[in-house]
Amino acid sequence: MLPFDPANVTIAAMLCWLVSLTLFAAARGNRTVKATGHVLYVAGILILAGLLTALWQFMGRAPLRTLGETRLWYGMFLPLIGYAVYARWGYRWMLYYAALMATVFLGVNLRHPEYYDRDLVPALQSPWFVPHVVVYLFAYAVLAASAIVAVRGLIRRARTTELNVADNLVQIGFGFLTLGLLFGALWGKEAWGHYWTWDPKETWAFLTWIVYLAYMHHRIQRPQQVRVSLWILSLAFVILLVCWFGVNYLPSAADSVHTYGRS
Amino acid sequence: MSGMANQPTSENLRRKPIWIPPWGYAEGWMIVSGLLMVGFALQLAGGGLPSGVLAWPVNLYTALIFSALLTIAHLFGRSVPLFAWLGRVPATICSIALITFLVLIMGLVLQDDEAAAPWVRRLGLSSMTSSWPFLLGLILFLSTLGMATLKRMIPFRWRNTGFLLNHLGLYIVVLGGLMGSADVERRLMELREGELVWHATDRAGHVYEMPLALELIRFERKEHHPKAALVETGSHRLLSESKADLFEIDSDIRGHLGDWEIEVHRFLPLSMPVGDRYEPVLDVGAGPSARVTAVHTGTGEKREGWITCGSFAFPHRLLELEEDTALAMTVPRPRAYRSQAVLYTPGGTPETILIEVNKPYRVNGWTLYQHSYDDRFGRWSRTSIIEAIRDPWLPVVYTGIFMMLGGAVYLMFRGRKLIIPNTGETTRASV
Ligand code: HEM
Repeated sequence: MLPFDPANVTIAAMLCWLVSLTLFAAARGNRTVKATGHVLYVAGILILAGLLTALWQFMGRAPLRTLGETRLWYGMFLPLIGYAVYARWGYRWMLYYAALMATVFLGVNLRHPEYYDRDLVPALQSPWFVPHVVVYLFAYAVLAASAIVAVRGLIRRARTTELNVADNLVQIGFGFLTLGLLFGALWGKEAWGHYWTWDPKETWAFLTWIVYLAYMHHRIQRPQQVRVSLWILSLAFVILLVCWFGVNYLPSAADSVHTYGRS
Repeated sequence: MSGMANQPTSENLRRKPIWIPPWGYAEGWMIVSGLLMVGFALQLAGGGLPSGVLAWPVNLYTALIFSALLTIAHLFGRSVPLFAWLGRVPATICSIALITFLVLIMGLVLQDDEAAAPWVRRLGLSSMTSSWPFLLGLILFLSTLGMATLKRMIPFRWRNTGFLLNHLGLYIVVLGGLMGSADVERRLMELREGELVWHATDRAGHVYEMPLALELIRFERKEHHPKAALVETGSHRLLSESKADLFEIDSDIRGHLGDWEIEVHRFLPLSMPVGDRYEPVLDVGAGPSARVTAVHTGTGEKREGWITCGSFAFPHRLLELEEDTALAMTVPRPRAYRSQAVLYTPGGTPETILIEVNKPYRVNGWTLYQHSYDDRFGRWSRTSIIEAIRDPWLPVVYTGIFMMLGGAVYLMFRGRKLIIPNTGETTRASV
């Protein structure tokens, strides 16, 4: 039994982000307010890192055994990556977005504490599990943002330059997508003996990846064809959604190794 | 961007009659359709790809000759419209579209399905990765990728490093994986406690003598603790109010389930029934049991007794609480399973090793995986199935994978070049 309640610590981290983001929104160029915002944002991440370390200490094992515990890792890594992307590219909204995503995952834990009990099957107990999933979640988050740009562009008849943001998002998102795919391959080799088996989830992950690849190359050569690019970008996101949520329902997924959710 | 300046613009490409160089999309879609027709015709005529043709060393020669041909085409064949076309983006998009189309079919049609409709099977749609259209698609894909890579590789420039990590990396992964697949050997070794096993079976049922032998000392299945739950007495279904707070059973633990406060006095991870009680034992067939008290929080009613989920050797037992509600113990879920075995290799000293899920053991080019066990007996299984895999091309594929990992990181930090309005020219992003 733990000497503290993980829920309270989780809430503390979420409050840090909430205050931090409010400060950002209200700063209006005030340096001190902004700096406080940054400190609080990072503090939220550190609180979760501390929680994970403490859990590790008290339980005498890596906190990677239950679904609830893995959500804590997402909750720490998403804002961490979001902060890194912000630091590199200066997209302020990335901070809001990453904190929101993390809050959703942590919120699931708060609403369903029983998820701390739900055991992971042996195949998922691997050091690859968290990096693989976190990197994918982040790719999906960034590419979802690019899909919003695409839909807005289709409605508003966007011009060439308006795709610059989408391009940059795709570049970042595609980088993470590639990492996720490759981590998955390396893990698959350790767990199942092969790095690529065309399992339905892998097949759809590959489709997602290659359609974004088509988008990137189409942009290189036909920068003026904005509408075609926007359509490819929208199609890519539809395929991404099938990969994320839909695979379990496809006839081709009758015996996928990736459908743990069903049991 | 000098590379881009001498490329035909979209305007004059569109007005150009087909098959007049430089080729673009029109020619590309024709080539793709042609490959599809030839591919499906070959598939109908001769069935799927002959398997095993690319075994060592034919695959090595094929990979080298293919790459050499691309290099020669790049160095000396620039005036041939096909070769010039292969290295540019229209060919990239066309070949990507072809692969996407074929993989999309694979993603929608159940693969290796004996029950698939005859036309699906004859066209190879349910065995895509060993079909002619897929092979032709990959050849086009690799040709365009290879030609694009060569354009930036010769002469080598440092500023092309990121490009080469991505493109050459992917080329190596795809070519290495494709060529290596015929050399992959996967065999199952069925181990039984105390028996020395040096033969293995492949999927087709062929038996091989292995260059190593294994003797199972012990199969171990570690389990999570079982959980306490409220169930419907008749159906044994979990009651919904209980789904939210199953709690892990352990000695001296209290918890709430619905209206009942449960106290576990004694938890026996391994036990057997003795009369009306349970006693700790380590014998085959032992299972978990717990002595519990349940007190109704409203009425103060008290129930006391043993619960167990049973094992293959003895039945489960519930503690009845109300007319149709009982307290149950869930079947423990596996936490890890592994085999402890003695490994014998020619010339080597025997060695005791552990093979566990996610922790395979490597020896002499073979990797040994914990594959399965006899789940009728759960933790008491005395057989363990080990999968032995040899993939001599793995270092090649991993080289490509690590190049691509570097390329992905480069991509994220470099960002995309910005497109300046009106000119279509590009410049480096500074956002
Ligand atoms: C890992 C996957 C890939 C990534 C990340 C990637 C990325 C890129 C990037 C960023 C560029 C622009 C380079 C620059 O302007 O500096 C590019 C160009 C190009 N890529 Fe790819 N690509 C990938 C796969 C492919 C594939 C599979 C093909 C062919 C089938 C291909 C063919 C080309 C071609 C023809 C160019 C234009 C080269 C030139 O104009 O010199 N790429 N790629």
